[in-house]
Amino acid sequence: MNPLIEVIDLTYSYQAGSDDEFRALKGVFLQVWPGEMLAITGQNGSGKSTLARHFNGLLTPQSGSVLVEGLSIADKKNTAAIRKLVGMVFQNPDNQLVSSIVEEDIAFGPENLGLPPAEIRKRVDWALDTLNLQHLRKVSPSGLSEGQKQLVAIAGVLAMKPKCIILDEPTAHLDPRGKREVLENIMRLNREEGITIILLTHFMNEVVHCDQMVVMEQGEIKLRGTPYAVFRQKEIILELGLDLPIAAQLATGLRQKGFKIPEDIIHTEELVDCLCQLK
Amino acid sequence: MELTKNITLGVYLPGETSIHRLDPRTKIIAAAILITLLLFIKSYQPYGLFMLFTIAVIIASGIPISYALCGLKPMLPVLVLMWFFQLFLYSAPEAEVIVSWWIFSATDAGLHMGNLITLRVFFLFTIITILTLTTSIVSLTDGLESLLKPLRMIGIPSQELVMTMIIALRFVLILAEELDKIIKAQMARGVAFDRGNFIQKTRNLFPVFLPLFINAFKRAEELIVAMEARSYTGGKGRTKMKTLHMGRVDRSAGVVIMLFTGLIVYIILSVNPQI
Ligand SMILES: Nc1ncnc2c1ncn2[C@@H]1O[C@H](COP(=O)(O)OP(=O)(O)OP(=O)(O)O)[C@@H](O)[C@H]1O
Ligand SMILES: [Mg+2]
Repeated sequence: MNPLIEVIDLTYSYQAGSDDEFRALKGVFLQVWPGEMLAITGQNGSGKSTLARHFNGLLTPQSGSVLVEGLSIADKKNTAAIRKLVGMVFQNPDNQLVSSIVEEDIAFGPENLGLPPAEIRKRVDWALDTLNLQHLRKVSPSGLSEGQKQLVAIAGVLAMKPKCIILDEPTAHLDPRGKREVLENIMRLNREEGITIILLTHFMNEVVHCDQMVVMEQGEIKLRGTPYAVFRQKEIILELGLDLPIAAQLATGLRQKGFKIPEDIIHTEELVDCLCQLK
Repeated sequence: MELTKNITLGVYLPGETSIHRLDPRTKIIAAAILITLLLFIKSYQPYGLFMLFTIAVIIASGIPISYALCGLKPMLPVLVLMWFFQLFLYSAPEAEVIVSWWIFSATDAGLHMGNLITLRVFFLFTIITILTLTTSIVSLTDGLESLLKPLRMIGIPSQELVMTMIIALRFVLILAEELDKIIKAQMARGVAFDRGNFIQKTRNLFPVFLPLFINAFKRAEELIVAMEARSYTGGKGRTKMKTLHMGRVDRSAGVVIMLFTGLIVYIILSVNPQI
């Protein structure tokens, strides 16, 4: 199997060449495999967004290379093909919605691909169905909740039928219910539609639902592995300025109080099961 | 002070009325005809008819009249100012002076001119508001693009022009939202925007303008990046989900507009035969 996205020794500096040059990426290696759900996490300014913007050609590598299905992102001729393969959803839904009707907004991407009207309609329908948004198709996004707006933004990317969707802190603006809705839908797109998901997030309870995770610090990847493997390295996680998931924190606390709780607990359900068996 | 509530320009109210269902080209052309008519109306009788027609259209489009008018609120000072300007500065030979104060004097001709110009701007604004309230951004731009197509033959990039318009329209809304946020933040810090006279109010607004524009530009930039990420490359090779189509509603609307135009022209000519 070939990786969907392959990053080889990528570096990137903002204001390159000037006095206040800032090295945002310092030699990143990463492989993203088809069908996986990958979390990229790390403190503010660690370079997550800068890295992710190389995956669909919004930024081009200053050195090193990024390949999407073997196509080099540095070659401008590949940009259109790569944007079709890799969609991107941003943090603030208000800044990414184009039209004043939901279905027209979702059609924007497929329209840019130059598809025939009937095909566009089919895809809009499919995207609305997949995210359970049919009842909102004719309304104006400005009247929706932030969570619903974000789902519309995701539908707009989905309608382009990408193999991979990058989501840059998609839940940062949302209330708990919106967060849950968006996360559940992202997980469903991954499990049921087989879409590769790259989720940039600060929330560890979102990270635990991913297959793989990457922790960045100061433009470098510090850790990579399954959430179980990564969260086992508690000290390093804390040192990198991150938290453990709530369940892991509780498990650690309980263990210190002498309860017999096994290692490797990151999901709330696991902790609950474990506590029930203690009796 | 909910500013975004007072902005109706660029806002779209979804609906299923026949006005909503009209082809955007019909609506744009109709609006253009009405605006042209406005330029020729110089007496009050045709304005009366115009008012009735506008109200009828608003009712037919299912927009609450109060909502259609609230967009006018931010414009009010400008309208009043214009009225005063005309009142005191317009002069005509043989005009009768009604009030005079210091070096200013208001004539009946000035009053008439002030009224006409204010009415003209009022109706201009109302027509454009009805157009944007009943037409989504995408169909508005699709309509414009189709109407501007002939321009492409002489090398004017109508598609890019129209997309720029989308971004500009969204920008107005973003700007209003940002202003609203900043004013709320400043009020929380104790700056009183709602008190004081006009000059004090304006001075209170001053420190918010810089952050306002910085935020608005940042957000507009994000919008453009998001469009780019969705494969937008400037309109070339773009297709449309909804193909424009003129139908029976459009033909009826055409007839209504023609009758109305005829009626207005008839009234203008019978009131002011010299034109
Ligand atoms: N346009 C820019 N010009 C200059 N510096 C920038 C620019 N964009 C980002 N940076 C800097 O590059 C670094 C990495 O930014 P990036 O946005 O990739 O971080 P991030 O991990 O996504 O952070 P956050 O969690 O805040 O989104 C930050 O220190 C930031 O200040
Ligand atoms: Mg970021």
